Order: sequence, then C-alpha cells, then structure tokens
Amino acid sequence: MVPFAAAFGYSLLYSFGIIGVVNDGFTLEFWAEVFRSGAFLDALIYSVTIALISVFISVTAALWFTLKFQKKLRGKIVSFMIYLPLAIPGIVAAFFTVQILSKSGLFSRFSYLLGFTSGITDFPDLINDQYAIGIILVLISVVMPFFVLLFLNVYDNERLDQLTELARSLGASNSQTIWRVSLPVILRKTWTLIALYFIFLLGAYEVPLILGQESPQMLSVLIVRELKQFDLTKISEGYVVAVMYTILVSIATILLFSKRSTENG
Amino acid sequence: MKYVVFIFVLLYACSPANHGSELDISTIPWQEIEQKASGTTVNFMMWQGSPSINSYINNYVIPAVKEKYNIDLKITGGQGPEIVQLIMGEKQANVGSGQVDMVWINGETFFQLRQIDGLWGPFVTKLPNAQYVNFEDEFIGIDFQQPVNYMEAPWSVSQFALFYDTTRIQDPPSNLDELESYVKSKPGTFTISNDFSGMTLLKSFLAELGGGPESLNGPFDKIKYQELSTQLWSYINKNKKHFWKNGTTFPKEHTKMDQMYANGELLIDYGFGEGGIEDKVIQGLFPKSTRGYAWDNGTIKNSNYLGISYNSQNKLGAMVVINFLMSPEAQLKKSDPNEMDSNTILDVSKLPVEWRTKFEAQERRKYGPEMADLQEKAIQEPDPQYMIRLFEDFRTQVIEQ
Repeated sequence: MVPFAAAFGYSLLYSFGIIGVVNDGFTLEFWAEVFRSGAFLDALIYSVTIALISVFISVTAALWFTLKFQKKLRGKIVSFMIYLPLAIPGIVAAFFTVQILSKSGLFSRFSYLLGFTSGITDFPDLINDQYAIGIILVLISVVMPFFVLLFLNVYDNERLDQLTELARSLGASNSQTIWRVSLPVILRKTWTLIALYFIFLLGAYEVPLILGQESPQMLSVLIVRELKQFDLTKISEGYVVAVMYTILVSIATILLFSKRSTENG
Repeated sequence: MKYVVFIFVLLYACSPANHGSELDISTIPWQEIEQKASGTTVNFMMWQGSPSINSYINNYVIPAVKEKYNIDLKITGGQGPEIVQLIMGEKQANVGSGQVDMVWINGETFFQLRQIDGLWGPFVTKLPNAQYVNFEDEFIGIDFQQPVNYMEAPWSVSQFALFYDTTRIQDPPSNLDELESYVKSKPGTFTISNDFSGMTLLKSFLAELGGGPESLNGPFDKIKYQELSTQLWSYINKNKKHFWKNGTTFPKEHTKMDQMYANGELLIDYGFGEGGIEDKVIQGLFPKSTRGYAWDNGTIKNSNYLGISYNSQNKLGAMVVINFLMSPEAQLKKSDPNEMDSNTILDVSKLPVEWRTKFEAQERRKYGPEMADLQEKAIQEPDPQYMIRLFEDFRTQVIEQ
C-alpha cells in the first residue's frame, strides 16, 4: 500500500506542476489542457469498449466450452491446447499475431497462394486497424483459458453435475438446467473475478502498443506516450491522465469489494 | 498525518539541488587526465538497436580502451527519451553520483538535456583529437540551430535520405507536387512514421513550402510556422487517403516502415545515415536494387554527439573514451562501409598525411549514396521548437482527424 500511495502522491504533485525539473510551481494548466484536448475521454471510451468486448466474448465462449465439453476438457490433449495460451505472455502473443495476421503475415501469404487475394494490399487490415480486431483477438486468446479453468473449478466445487441431474429428475429441460441452474451458479461465484479482469484489461499495455493504432490509444499507451514525449514541459499531462485513471480504477475496485463483503456478510 | 509527513519527505527529496561543475579541467594536463582515468570504469548509455554498431563497440572499442587506457567501458542500452528520463529522474531524486557517465545523443536529446541542465561541460576543447574537427562547419558546430559550445563532442554526421526500389519505381517523387501524383498512382505505398524520422521528413516538406532550403533557418518563428504548417496539414489531409491504410493510421516508428519496405508493402522509405541502406542491403533485408536520393529542396543533415552527464562519477574517464572515439583510428574504422558505415566528423584535410591517405583510400559504399553526393541538397536542422510543434500538430491535425 505504501509504495502505491507514494507513487500516487508523486504523480499528483507532478500533475499540478509542484515537482518536476522543468515545472515552475503550482498550476492547473495541465489538468485544463487534458480536459480540453479530450484525449483522456477518447482513450477511456476506447479502452472500456475493448475491455468490455474482450471480457464478454471470453466469458461467453468459456461458459460455452465449460458446459458443452466439460468432460472432454479434462482430456490431456484438449486441456493442453486450451491452457497453453495461459503460459504465453501478452507481448509474445502480440508478436505472434503480427506474424500471422499482418498484411505480409502467414494468412496473407496463404490467401495469396490460394488465389483469394492478388497482392499484399488486398488482404484486410487485421492489426493496427480501426476496429482493434488484433487487440481484441489477443486479449480473448489470453483471457479465455483462464475463465475456462475458473468455471471448471466452480463446476466441480458446486457439484453442478449433481445439481443438473437433480433438476432434470425434477422435470427441467436441457435449456432450463443451463439457464436456471448452471449459469446462475457459475456467474454468481465468479462475477467479481470477471469484473477484476475487466479492470485488468482496461490497463493493457503491450498488446495495444504493438497491435493498436496511433489514435485513439488505450489508456496505458496514452500515459506512457505523454510521459516520454519530446516536449518536456508537457510531461505533467501524462501524470494527469495517470492520476485520473488511478482514481477511476480505485473507486471501481473499492465498490466491487465493498459490495462483495456486504454480500458475504 | 502519516501521509502529510510523507508528502513533505517526498517534496524534500524532489527539491532541485545545485550541481555545479566542481571539477576544473582547465588546469589539468591531458596526460594526467589519462593517468587518473586508468583503472576506472566508464558507463556508456547508447542506442543498441543495430548489429553493426554493437559489433563496432563490443569487438573494437571496448578492447581498445582497455588495452590503451586500462578503462573498463560498460554499455547500457537506452536512447533519447530513456536518457532524458534517467537524468531527469536522478535530478529530481537529487542523486549526486549518476548511473551513467557518457551518453550518445542527437539534437533533440541535446535540446532536452540542456533544458534540464543535464550535461557537464564544456569539455570538448580539452580533447586532443578535437583539433581535427572543423567546428566552423554549420552541420557540426550547430545542433538544431544552437551552437554546441563544446558541451558535446561530435561522433558522426549523416544526412537524411529517401530510398526506393528501382525495379518497382522508375521515377521517385522529389517534391510535393510529384509526391501528390505519385500517391495517386500508387496508393497505399507511402506513409509518414510518427517519430523522429517522420518529423524530419516533414521538416523537409515545411522548408519546401517555405520557399527554399534555408527558409527555416534562424530562431523559431511562430507566424511563419503557423502559415507553413497550415499549408502542410491541408496538403497531407488532402492526400492521405492515398497513403498506407488510407491515412487512417500512421506507423509508430520507422523500423516498422523498413520492415514494410522490405516486404513490399511500402515502395518509398527514408531514414538518416543517407537512408541507412547499405547495411540492410548487405544483410539481405532490402533488395539490391534499392537506391537512395535527396529531396529537391534538400533533406536535413545533422551530427550526433557524445555528452557527459552532469552527475557522472567518472568525468575524466568519459573524456578519455570520447577522445578515443574521435581519434582518426576509431573514426576510420567506424566509417568502413562493411562495419558501422557512418561518416566521420573529422575534417580530413586537417589530419596528418598518414591518416589522410588512409581515409582517402577507403572503400566506398556499394548501394547507398555517399554523403558527398547529396551535399548540395543538405539543409540544416531547424530550431527544436519546429520539431516540438510538428510532433504535436501532426497528431492533432492529421492523425486524430
């Protein structure tokens, strides 16, 4: 907690120009400039959208896998394939994606060989693209296995197979057992973790750095860009964004856990 | 309460401290400097992104300074922003003895380090090999329109150049009108990297709009900048739909452009070091049919330099190493096209005959242009303010539009 508070205090002072080699003392100018330029809001909306889509697709797919294949997932080969991505760092996954999906990548070469495209420019933009397709794909492939693992555990711990059997013997249909029994049990047990993962993805750095666009950018990329910029007199703007982001995430986390503790209590 | 105390401690720790240069080198003879430096370690922070540079440093410079001066040269990776961040951080934290003694910088970093008084000096006149350098040369003695004032020692000089593949383009554009018709005829094959290289290209464009190679010389002129940059952004915005990815985004750095040039996605690329073509063709990354050329109105030519950090623990050792790096021996080795391939900053006519003949007899480049070929189209680096504004406005006026 102390190092975190120290870093936050330092950023706060820096954002008001109180410290910093090229700053001349207290000013609100940096805060005003960040609000005026709208950079923070753009980055926030962009990050929230990407994180939401990634978490939503990951959770949906993981639920589907768990409920549909929960027996097969315990097999050696399938589980190896599903869990392997867990061991791959985001930065490596991002580089793989460049190798595979870029215009000069593997898929582009295959599609050229098979005659689907007639050259490098025909292949669609899948990385550094407008819709963040590359970023979302990598985030899903990194996050989904984790959810599969999590849901399978909950499935076992809550003895869901016995519960579904019981529901069936009481006359529930297949879809009823899924929608009324399995899903509510799994989601109720895991929603805090899902929400935390959303917050974690909000701060993704390496993946959007490699696969993203120059504008808009995700929050962490924006912050680092501002901190490292050429114009030293504007470095404080990076700290403004960092402070706002920290406050936002802290509030979200506190809300999440206070709700959880009241629920448990 | 704990936090209030803490913040005060933090504030105290961050308060600026006075670092004068207590070391007076004017009275110490050079032999004594070399003696005092013997047996010490010098930490050198430099960009390590090129195999040929790394090989020059690791296989030649490090053993040579050990043998000649008994100095252990330790290399740390880091360029412009990292150097500035490190020295700025040490300044804020009031660190008296810095981690780094010498740094490899170019004009933008020199400008930033000067803003925070991050460099120690002047020291260059003390170096024996400085006698072979012509500081009157506007491309060496003046860095981004600022006199270097012997606060940094020149290490190499190069010119920005564009390049293309002769088998794919016959007549590459060399002015803005030609570029406009070029991107229309070959859409998607040109772009501007959102980094130092891209901004350097934009400076050439700006100078062309200004009406001549010298139009940006002198101190920053806000009105001139406003007028010219407005024209530049409207030119780019009008044509960017024919750029790479229809101008919806721009590459973050020029290494990415080099890759895209190598795989044929881009047909025109550019860079410092007269384009930086030679070693990439030799490595097999670029086709042998690659040729470099300059913009009609000129491309930027500048030097890169070696500086000593304000809180270096071994300023004398750093001076000895820098003096060696400027020596005819080290410079000759460095300008070999098969090695680091970078132009010497020495004025060959000032050298002793023995070295002059060696420089004159040196092998020439096979693929890239010689700096002398582009000399007539060399323009000076404009004031750093132009770069700062271009960076910011390129983002707000072009990328975010």
